Amino acid sequence: MPEAVSPRVNGASIEIRNLAKRFGSVKAVDDVSLTVEAGEFVALLGPSGSGKSTVLMSIAGFERPSDGQILIGGQDCTRLPPNKRDIGMVFQHYTLFPHLSVGDNVAFPLKMRGIGKTERRRQAEAALEVVRLGGYGDRTPKQLSGGQQQRVALARAIVYNPHVLLMDEPLSALDKNLREEMQIEIKRLHGELGFTVVFVTHDQGEALTMADRIAILKAGRLQQVSPARELYERPSNLFAASFIGEMNMLPVQWDGVNAVFSENQQIRLPADAVIEPVAPGSAILAVRPERLSVAAPNEAGTWAATVRDVVYAGAGSLLITYLQDGSEVRLRVSSAGQAPVQPGQTIGIKLPPEGVLLYPAGAA
Amino acid sequence: MSIGFFEANGRQMSKGAILLLMAPFFALVIFAFLYPLVSLLSLSVLEPTPTLANYERVFDNPVYATVLFRTMRIALLISLLSLALSLPVAVLMANSRGPKAVFLTACVLLPFWSSVLVRTAAWSILLQRNGLVNDFLQGIGLTSEPLRLLYTQGAVVVAMTHVLMPFMVLPIYGALRNIPSDYGRAASICGAGPLRTFWEVTLPLAMPGIIGGFILVFLTALGYFITPSLLGSPQEMMIATLISQQMRENLDWPFAAALVGVLTILVTIITIAFSKVFRFERMLGARA
Repeated sequence: MPEAVSPRVNGASIEIRNLAKRFGSVKAVDDVSLTVEAGEFVALLGPSGSGKSTVLMSIAGFERPSDGQILIGGQDCTRLPPNKRDIGMVFQHYTLFPHLSVGDNVAFPLKMRGIGKTERRRQAEAALEVVRLGGYGDRTPKQLSGGQQQRVALARAIVYNPHVLLMDEPLSALDKNLREEMQIEIKRLHGELGFTVVFVTHDQGEALTMADRIAILKAGRLQQVSPARELYERPSNLFAASFIGEMNMLPVQWDGVNAVFSENQQIRLPADAVIEPVAPGSAILAVRPERLSVAAPNEAGTWAATVRDVVYAGAGSLLITYLQDGSEVRLRVSSAGQAPVQPGQTIGIKLPPEGVLLYPAGAA
Repeated sequence: MSIGFFEANGRQMSKGAILLLMAPFFALVIFAFLYPLVSLLSLSVLEPTPTLANYERVFDNPVYATVLFRTMRIALLISLLSLALSLPVAVLMANSRGPKAVFLTACVLLPFWSSVLVRTAAWSILLQRNGLVNDFLQGIGLTSEPLRLLYTQGAVVVAMTHVLMPFMVLPIYGALRNIPSDYGRAASICGAGPLRTFWEVTLPLAMPGIIGGFILVFLTALGYFITPSLLGSPQEMMIATLISQQMRENLDWPFAAALVGVLTILVTIITIAFSKVFRFERMLGARA
């Protein structure tokens, strides 16, 4: 680690209070409150139009909130212009200045802070070494590959040791291998430098692997903020459940203890299957495909199902089956040690009660 | 499967189609530009016998050199003035959306679409002895009697700046509009205020448009005829007026042709010099 970039920059906390942004009558962001701890890595995840970028742009200062407050390091920044916020930011399309060399691009924030030329050069070169591009300072951005350009953008964002680093889908323009390499790189820098990261992405895999916590947005509203495991295993509502990973969703009648299927099969749910209280009546039972396993037909405690399709994908196989009432159930099973299953075959589906979640119907 | 004559084959049209489409344009250029220019220039070296005497006359008499330098000085002044006036307009246009953008574009283009003659005549009405400008100056007490404003170099500079400004505004506007807004945001998050962002990022990226507009105005001003001849001082002639005078009043075509030759060479040198330093396709708005 070059000594010019101080070994441990402590991150600043970000506090978003009741943030709202309206464009005309459209609510792009609707009453979002989120606290990001100093040094934390938080991903904003959501489909396009969910408001995740607007939240990020509000933290950066490019969008002026219609309502609410943004505090960075305890200081109210709601009305502060972007150039006074001391934030580092990496954009989706690199945005390296084409008229400047790689070194001058990285040194740009230092120049804006009135640091002398020699010192600027030294610090820029040090930042380039941090992103493993030492010696590239004299090239022009155009001479670099997409991945290298994004590293330069990263170097430019961290060169003045900001407490907060914002990233707006920084990896979406890169191909898969480069993307994975950059994910590791960004995680490494986050660990070494300790800044706070807010990372916008629509790629759930990226969010799950990189972030300490993931905030899910839909139509401008925050759905859930949780660590990856909790988000995947105990999504707090149907939207989060269906947005992250695959989920089987079956309509059931809920009497407070048992979930009853239309075919009069029923399952007794453990108390923690219910995340928010569900009123008796129609409900949705959700279960991940990999929680299910194949059993002999008519085995006690299994559901009878007919196999429609088998998709072999190496280590795992996807079984698409349907129950007697016609609802589709997908299973992800390990390919090894599994008796071959053919389309048309009748099987039993075994589901462990602890893998089942229950949501109120119609709340997706 | 055969590819049709005009059909685009991926990106390339057939050579025949290109030639056919370009033919009317080339025919016009050859007929209406190259042929008259070449015959005029040959006049300058062939009349009365093969000679360089016409060119010697241009350089022997200091009057002509003075006219040439005055023309270049005025053209440069007009270019600088119209750059100074156009830059804010272009920036405002590039940053406007909706009705405001339409209004600004109309402000630039409407005068552009009216005849140069009309715009020049308008200035002669404004600048005459009992015109609006003199009335105003006397009204606020700056002067007690009418100033001589018409038939001066000043009148030429002001009117030509007005006439040629769209040639400056439009390329700069085009260049500014081509700059992705993310660059401004990147500069801003790096700590640059609005002025610093403009100076460090926007201006350098708009430079092709600025240079392009500058050359367009400068070269057009060099050979401009109508405005200098209507508003200019006869004692302080510009080169186009001089050429016209030699042709129509003195009927000295070989000498006028030599003046055209000098002007043509000058324009060519300036164009080549600029295109060496700045690439032309970028000036016309193509992304590098």
